[in-house]
Amino acid sequence: MGYIIFFITAAVVVTLFQSVGLFSITGTSHFTLEPWKIVTSREVLDSLRFSLTMGVGSSVGTILVAFPMALYLRKPTPVKGAIGSIIKIPLFIPALVATFLIVNVISYDGLLNEALVFLHVLRKPARMLNDKGGIGVIIIQIWKNLPFVLLIVSASVAGIRDDTIDAAKNLGAGPFSVVRFVYIPLAMPGILVAMILMFIKAFGDYPITSIEGPIYPSSMAVRMYTTATLYQQWNQAAVIGVLIIVTTIFVVAGYSKLAGMVGQE
Amino acid sequence: MSGLRLTNVTKSFGDFKAIDSIDLDVEEGEFITLLGPSGCGKTTTLRTIAGFHSPDNGEVYIKERLVNNIPPSRRNTGMCFQSYALFPHMTVYDNVRFGLRMRKIAQAEQRRRVTEALRMVELEQLVGRKPGELSGGQQQRVALARAIVIEPDLLLFDEPLSNLDAKLRESVRVEIRNLQKRLGITSIYVTHDQAEALVISDRVVIMNQGKIEQIGDPHWVYDHPKTSFVAGFIGLANIRQGTVQAEEAGTYRIKADFGEVYARVEGLRIGETVSFSFRPEDVVIAGSPGRNTIRGTVHQAIFMGNLTDLFVEFGGVIFRAQLAKGRAFKTGEPIELTIPEDAIRILDRGGTT
Repeated sequence: MGYIIFFITAAVVVTLFQSVGLFSITGTSHFTLEPWKIVTSREVLDSLRFSLTMGVGSSVGTILVAFPMALYLRKPTPVKGAIGSIIKIPLFIPALVATFLIVNVISYDGLLNEALVFLHVLRKPARMLNDKGGIGVIIIQIWKNLPFVLLIVSASVAGIRDDTIDAAKNLGAGPFSVVRFVYIPLAMPGILVAMILMFIKAFGDYPITSIEGPIYPSSMAVRMYTTATLYQQWNQAAVIGVLIIVTTIFVVAGYSKLAGMVGQE
Repeated sequence: MSGLRLTNVTKSFGDFKAIDSIDLDVEEGEFITLLGPSGCGKTTTLRTIAGFHSPDNGEVYIKERLVNNIPPSRRNTGMCFQSYALFPHMTVYDNVRFGLRMRKIAQAEQRRRVTEALRMVELEQLVGRKPGELSGGQQQRVALARAIVIEPDLLLFDEPLSNLDAKLRESVRVEIRNLQKRLGITSIYVTHDQAEALVISDRVVIMNQGKIEQIGDPHWVYDHPKTSFVAGFIGLANIRQGTVQAEEAGTYRIKADFGEVYARVEGLRIGETVSFSFRPEDVVIAGSPGRNTIRGTVHQAIFMGNLTDLFVEFGGVIFRAQLAKGRAFKTGEPIELTIPEDAIRILDRGGTT
């Protein structure tokens, strides 16, 4: 038990101590709140805002894609097996490789822009790479994590009894009402777990945002890396690490509260 | 007015024909039961009425309205499921008002109707509970309240009491029947329990292998089975075959494998091969030798308190008789029994009513 507690908590505790000047890798160790001054800097706040957008956008976006898929795949269909196999492909591709693959699709002269211009949806190609809004990052996060999220949400949806759905239809619920009043509340535990895990991944992501994200603002993970390795400010990097942890906890609590409200209609 | 009409309805799943050319006409306010063994098509019929299956052939009319292309959400039927199918995340109140909410009934009217429905099933005090906090009987009553609160054109019951213990089943089925009589809603009830069907129904529809074997009120179906299947499925029956030999004064002499038997029936032809049956409880101890007297040997006697279940060997055949409380019987003892001529029923001659 002691080993587990130490193993899990040691990294967090050391980061916390480093953020207040203790366990310093460079220079002397002494308690100080000086590193915490960066919290109010424009760069860190912009990075925090950007990472939050990536986290929330990726978690919500993946659920919006995965949930309808889970509903469709709930019933046996002739193509269910084939669709299930295709959806699993991103599981086998590392995040860094996936980033480069998707870049080919969403770059200025990539497949997506060419198709949209050809179909006259766009007059000229849109910027989806390294854009300030992080659209490319969100697309890659959704693509990469869809199988994982789909697995969790599908298990939740599969646990809903057919006769519960039939009862809702019998009582007058159309397709959207069945989804809103039965599927979503009953699948909410799975949806919530999937969204939390997805947020944690995307909020703290490094490989995808380092390649596909904008030059400015960078993500919190990229800023933490550059603060530590480029500027050798390990204590300030630890502060960013603590910010990542604390923000994640608050957002997870917020998701849980929202899920509880949705579950109660 | 007809409450429900099925005209030549057929439904297959792949190569398996679940229901085959079903014709059924149910009067408004009538309580009918679809009765039969597992796999006979009774639940498929019910789900086709509800709209969960589309018939491959035939039409479904609810209150003279053709509903073949109308989805379940717009047929205005109220269904009670075997597993209750309550919404586990909603309270009793929200479960019952769900249908009213889908119909966009005003809040005040919702409150009034939900309160009234829960009062009818005697569950007003449990409005705030969730289904997981209720017993099986309470859950089924909530399901009933949920079905009736929407004032449906049809009530559909899919073996609603199967998950309850025997004693609770008896009391809840009486409640269901009393409520249905009070409200006058046309009801279709599915069960494989023949006792349940006979107790609560205005008419019983016996089904077998996707077809209707016989329709009639419980007394008639029990006393006048038309087919071997119905005779054997409803109650107990001795079923034999024989050849019609002669007729005199409204009675036919039939030569069966165990001997001759006289039946007071109509419309047989001399030389015709027939199946016939008689109920064990119709057999009596022979007072004096006469026609239809069986002189056999007791093969087995089972004392059941108010009656004795007797298996008698005669002519190489084992007959079953049920005699009211009386003397004890011993295996191997000789016995004389009489089958009343008017207790014999001719089977499998065609027609379902």
